[in-house]
Amino acid sequence: MRRLTYSAAFAALLATSAHAAEFSWAETTDPQTMDPHAVNSAPVLGFLNNIYEGLVRRDKDMVIEPALATSWEPIGAGEGWRFTLRQGVKFHDGSDFTAQDVLFSYERASSEEADTRSWFAPVSEVNVVDDYTIDIMTSAPNPIFPDSIANWMIVDAGWAEANAAARPDKDNGNFATLNTNGTGAFMLDERAPGLSTVLVPHAGWWDTAEHNITRATLTPIQNPATAVAALLSGDIDFINPVPIQDTERLKQNPDVNIIQGIEARVIMLGFPHEADALKYSAETTDKNPFADVRVRQAVGHAINVPAILQTIMRGNAEEVSQLVSPAMRGYTDSLARRPVYSPDEARALLTEAGYPDGFSFGLKCTNDRYLNDEAVCQAVTGMLAQVGMRATLDAMPVQNYWPELRADNYDMYLLGWSPGTFDAEHPIRFLAATPNDEKKLGSWNFGGYSNARVDELLPMIQSEIDDTKRQAMLDETAQILQDEAAYVPLYVQPLVWGTQANIDMTQRPDNFFMLRWVTVN
Amino acid sequence: MLAYIIQRIAQSFLVLLVVGAVAFSMFRFVGDPIDNMLGQERTQADIERLRTQLGLDQPFPVQYVKFLAGAVQGNFGVSYRQGRPVSQILLERAPATLELAAVSGFLAISIGIGLGVFTAIRRDGFTANAIMSLSLIGVSLPTFLIGILLIYLFSVELGWLPSFGRGDTVRIGWWTTGFLTESGLKALILPSITLGLYQMTLIMRLVRSEMLEVLRQDYIRFARARGLRDRAVNFRHALKNTLVPVITVTGLQLGSIIAFAIITETVFQWPGVGLLFINAIQFVDIPVMAAYLMLISVMFVGINLIVDLLYFSIDPRLRADRTGGH
Repeated sequence: MRRLTYSAAFAALLATSAHAAEFSWAETTDPQTMDPHAVNSAPVLGFLNNIYEGLVRRDKDMVIEPALATSWEPIGAGEGWRFTLRQGVKFHDGSDFTAQDVLFSYERASSEEADTRSWFAPVSEVNVVDDYTIDIMTSAPNPIFPDSIANWMIVDAGWAEANAAARPDKDNGNFATLNTNGTGAFMLDERAPGLSTVLVPHAGWWDTAEHNITRATLTPIQNPATAVAALLSGDIDFINPVPIQDTERLKQNPDVNIIQGIEARVIMLGFPHEADALKYSAETTDKNPFADVRVRQAVGHAINVPAILQTIMRGNAEEVSQLVSPAMRGYTDSLARRPVYSPDEARALLTEAGYPDGFSFGLKCTNDRYLNDEAVCQAVTGMLAQVGMRATLDAMPVQNYWPELRADNYDMYLLGWSPGTFDAEHPIRFLAATPNDEKKLGSWNFGGYSNARVDELLPMIQSEIDDTKRQAMLDETAQILQDEAAYVPLYVQPLVWGTQANIDMTQRPDNFFMLRWVTVN
Repeated sequence: MLAYIIQRIAQSFLVLLVVGAVAFSMFRFVGDPIDNMLGQERTQADIERLRTQLGLDQPFPVQYVKFLAGAVQGNFGVSYRQGRPVSQILLERAPATLELAAVSGFLAISIGIGLGVFTAIRRDGFTANAIMSLSLIGVSLPTFLIGILLIYLFSVELGWLPSFGRGDTVRIGWWTTGFLTESGLKALILPSITLGLYQMTLIMRLVRSEMLEVLRQDYIRFARARGLRDRAVNFRHALKNTLVPVITVTGLQLGSIIAFAIITETVFQWPGVGLLFINAIQFVDIPVMAAYLMLISVMFVGINLIVDLLYFSIDPRLRADRTGGH
């Protein structure tokens, strides 16, 4: 009897003092796999960062900090990096974390079957020095290597091999598609693909827990109205994203918090640099006006970005002048200004280029990829028409969009780019370098923009150890891209999260939701 | 008799093949699954390699024949997105849809018939007229709007019922049921009303008009003249004779309840096959789309076949071989 009283009292004490809480959240996309090396996509990597950890991780301000490695230093004159590993770290199943797991995870994540293998293109070999020291050698000096592996997650070698999951299997799935064994703050408790995924705290986590969650459930909800209703009714504690048009209304609601920020994704307009002629023009069928830098500059001057942000984004986004947002490493501060909005200037440039009456062309756009993408394209169409560039807008779902762009079926297109490494080098490699399949350069440079100096600078940027020299080269590249109006960057896409009023959490520009920073009050 | 059945079955198979072919030829317009399956850092070579690996570089008749060859053996391929067999995914999702359809079907039939009889008997009463006017809403409002309205009223404003999902479920073998838990039952209410409302009003209006027709018949007058009680006249004699067309329509509507659960499932994030199909479209998951469309057409064709055969057994005039017997 006494025992019963004690335990009841203890239970009551726990319930009142600990503030421990269950938590539920909804996102539009379900992480399609639990395998950290099978798929390189934000929903998967963002979610799995709660379960698995890398050698390094990003803090609340996106700065790299120690995780499974306690420190790292370059080897020699940039032959590689030496990582000193944390001791006493346990995987969720209780086994020890050692350098063998890192080596195994390197082999797994860089294998032919892994989607993440491009991260390891600079790596020549990985050597285990002792149980808690590992050398990662690179074929050329690689100053941002530690930054580039924040999402490279370490799996337990013994566990993966025992369960026949030594390599990811994206096509048919294997044990690691549905099960996990990481070192992170949370363990996978239940997994029903597309329906719900349940996490519970990892009691033996090496770091001090900031959260007070006992159980967390992710439910993918595709319909935005359903997600908002679930938040308002209290069935869900956190939704991402909140539809832009609902933001103002939810801000008025005392039961709900809106967390706003800007994402790493830059929305821009791209051009057919290589094309001989426009494809969708009524009258300009024998030449390509966008090959002329003045026409591209005119586009920059003709678009009133603040007005687009005011009306379509309801004040939730920020204009941008470069291919990366100011929050990224290597951003060029001196080029922070967009071309001034000036229809007169645009008309003058068009006249100078030989198009005093403008011309007609086709604008390709997505209607389900970026926030309010189609509305933005409509606004762009209207603004360009005012200076004589008469666009016919063709908006389509993203699954139809990429094949069209690859087939060069556009005269101008909308593109969003989020640099996976959070570094200014990333968009140069993918969007500005001359396309070269062998060297894996310019793979998203649909228009075939090509500048010899940019191509020359890129490998130098990639291997420059000295930060000042590297920044100088990034600045030079940014200057070239802006002068030549290779792309016309418009704005950085907003992030809008909605939570119950009693929840504290941290929003990071990479749109990764970190459960370990959640407090339920 | 046997010849008739064989003929009908053969026709059904032909319909299935045509539906499948049309569906397959449409997939190329849904988009290209490749970009979704490869990350940001893919190269042109990766794209080509995956396309060949999935067989998407082949013309659609070849893809279709391959699909059929697998489907005949119960193998619908592997989902592009989840990397698991499609048949397994469909089996996981089917209970949610079937339970929802069963509850909405039950609501539609019971309430529909009840209200239909009521409005027919009290033809000019205030309540009956009010019900008739309200039922117009059921026919004219689109499903997703009704769903959202119900969610806002009962979940957001009143907080009585969950706004999405299926609640807690209990696993019985491979089947998961929401009938055995309180949250599961609560979660069923709003979606089943949303899904069944159209069918309910349809059945109600059908019963009412049939009933009005029957109530005018001579044998009803004679029944009344004999002094039978109202209940016996209305339910034993009148209702029974209105049910033949009602059963036909209801049977056909059952198919649409399952097939058109897509919208309701999307609004309520109901974890059934309809939601699966919508997601499959978004990610161009061709194996899932193909299997879903085939199953739905099998179901429709099957229901129609059964209805045809039922007619055959109910209506003596169709039985050509027995004519002249009486």
